[in-house]
Amino acid sequence: MYEISVLILLFFIAASIVLYVVLGGADYGAGIIELLPIGNSEIRKKQREIVNRAMGPVWEANHMWLVIIVVIFFMGFPVVFQNIMVSLHIPIVAVLIGIVARGSVFTFRHYEVELTPAREKNYTITFGLSSLWTSFWLGVSAASLFRGLISNQSLDFYSLYVAPWWGLFPISLGLFITSIFSFLASIFLVGETDEVEMKKYFVNRAWKTNLFVIGTGALVFLAASFEGYELVNRFFKNPMAIIAFLFANLSFFLLWFKLKKRKAFYTRLIAAAQVSFILVGWFAIHWPNALKIDGIYVSFFNSAAPQPVLNQLIIALLVGSCFIFPSLYFLIKTFKMKVKES
Amino acid sequence: MTELEAARYSMAFSLGFHIIFAAIGMTMPFFMSIAHYKFLKTKNSQYLDLTKMWMKGVAVLFAVGAVSGTVLSFELGLLWPGFMKYAGPIIGMPFSWEGTAFFLEAVAIGLFLYGWDRMHPWVHWGAGLVVGLSGFASGIFVVAANSWMNTPQGFEIVDGVIKSVDPIKAMFNPAWLHQSMHMQVAALQAVGFGVAGIHAYFLLKRRKVEINKKAFMIAMFIAAGSSLLQPLIGHFAAQRVAVLQPAKLAAFEGHYKTSTRAPLYIAGIPNDEKEIMEYGIPIPGALSFLAFNDIDAEVIGLDQFPKDERPPTAVVHISFQIMVMIGSFLALIGTMFFYFFFIKKTVPTVFYKIAVLCSPLGFIAIEAGWITTEVGRQPWIIYEFMKVSEALTPVAGMQYHFFLFLFLYLGLGLLTFKLLKRMVNHYV
Repeated sequence: MYEISVLILLFFIAASIVLYVVLGGADYGAGIIELLPIGNSEIRKKQREIVNRAMGPVWEANHMWLVIIVVIFFMGFPVVFQNIMVSLHIPIVAVLIGIVARGSVFTFRHYEVELTPAREKNYTITFGLSSLWTSFWLGVSAASLFRGLISNQSLDFYSLYVAPWWGLFPISLGLFITSIFSFLASIFLVGETDEVEMKKYFVNRAWKTNLFVIGTGALVFLAASFEGYELVNRFFKNPMAIIAFLFANLSFFLLWFKLKKRKAFYTRLIAAAQVSFILVGWFAIHWPNALKIDGIYVSFFNSAAPQPVLNQLIIALLVGSCFIFPSLYFLIKTFKMKVKES
Repeated sequence: MTELEAARYSMAFSLGFHIIFAAIGMTMPFFMSIAHYKFLKTKNSQYLDLTKMWMKGVAVLFAVGAVSGTVLSFELGLLWPGFMKYAGPIIGMPFSWEGTAFFLEAVAIGLFLYGWDRMHPWVHWGAGLVVGLSGFASGIFVVAANSWMNTPQGFEIVDGVIKSVDPIKAMFNPAWLHQSMHMQVAALQAVGFGVAGIHAYFLLKRRKVEINKKAFMIAMFIAAGSSLLQPLIGHFAAQRVAVLQPAKLAAFEGHYKTSTRAPLYIAGIPNDEKEIMEYGIPIPGALSFLAFNDIDAEVIGLDQFPKDERPPTAVVHISFQIMVMIGSFLALIGTMFFYFFFIKKTVPTVFYKIAVLCSPLGFIAIEAGWITTEVGRQPWIIYEFMKVSEALTPVAGMQYHFFLFLFLYLGLGLLTFKLLKRMVNHYV
């Protein structure tokens, strides 16, 4: 019973992470690609309008997956939550600053009544930089969980609060995450416009960010082996992770085929599936662990809250899903499945 | 500034910042829905303009509330990991419901803001209403989590380890009802007076008189109604605190010595050194009467608690007095409004001037009330179970955390204020 409860919660955690990375990630990516100095001012203006229209109705809902993840952790896995919040205090604060800045500035830009060029530029740059910043630190935080440098026993500030997330591997995962988010955004934005020229522009973006994804992905593996982190070993011993990896890579061909034909719906689905495969691989490699403290893996199954708490949490998640998923479906149906009026 | 002080200031500042946006985010959608309803019923386009005007304000304020609320959900763990390790599972239930409600609110606000002409008008109106309802519900859940810190129950401790948790009992703890009623009505009051004041200002300037008058009436009705309700709820809340947290009640009133026929002080400054109230005007028996409906009832004083388990009396007493004075004053203003509206059938110009002056008062009262309940619980983070100092993070350098968020929020607050000012000038 207890194990089943934990499994149900892990399903919700995994689903929330996938949804946050795919949907929230694309929103971060939109900010990042707005930052890149490509295209003339007219194209950039159109890009801003498309991003506003695409993100406006959904970004707050997309952001909520993060809140759900946090709630599941602190209610269901309090020890894990506590250790992450202590050891990764600094990168998480960095993430929070970014979240505050980008959410506010994106909304301000949209509702600004005196949008002077200077003000618009400030908003756009802040939105872009904070999107980049937040995605990077999200990657750094994720990289730190299993690196084995989280410690409760060290005595000095550096090894307690800096060493866990400082190094080549976290930095490369940070870069990988920013690349993935930008790639997702490019793919998603192709379907947000009917203009041939803009479609072409976003396809071009998708190609380029795709190269970044491949490059930084390779960097992640290189950095891991350079650091002597057992990610690579664990990866090759894990059939599930290898299958996920193969799927993620092979589907690129399908993606580019569909993208050439401008099939927005399928390309979105494939890109989302690719990112999900990468996450599945990540979960599979570390299964069933939540993090590594002082060289010892902490399993989700050993660190969950007592049964009555899990029951209540599962009830809340199930009942919540009954409200959230239909309303999300309605939201997506309203804004993403109808013909775009410009 | 010690690490503990820095962490406490961080938390206080983050909450003090968020509470303003939360109060607006969970009540203002109702204002919007009322105007929208009137438009759909009467087809008077002024109501449509009003709805859209308020909607834009809600959009901006909700965004700031949402992101600062996200910070808080993390900060509980970043600053007070010792608290979250124990309390997370116990009070996670209201938080998980709050998460659900917050999620629904985010979906509904997307539908409402961008859904004009994309769905049936009444479905669209319903989306706006769901923004308000789910926001209001999430406020209740969060306050239920906070009230558990005041009256913890629903768990057993065996050898210092928490065993057998009952999350339902924890959520419906003895303080949840009066605290959440008090907070939600306070939000209606503050936002009601805030909005009414802005529109009164433009009415006095004779700008868009028709729309501003409609806006003023909707806001003022909510403000006045909730202000008449609040003294009753406040009284009920104080009576519950008298039973549940006598040290907090004693600090409200600067009541040092346990006594029967206890006096109530108007104003006054408590002196923790000498354990007396200075410069206050005592009303004999009034505290006993207010707390227990009996002028001869015994009211427990701070002398029943060891010195290191007493809240800092001056802060609690002064903020409590500010809250009560504003509450009483707003009840008077509310009565005046109903008198003018129902009996005199006309609202005089001077009342609009008063309304302008009243517009920030509700928010000041919310901050004062929040300080009262939080500082009044000190030194406990979980009343009589865990001290704030035991919950503190081991991470050094909390001063940096504090200043970082201080500057971030001051900057954000300033930007938001300036943008809203431009928006008000543009639309109202």
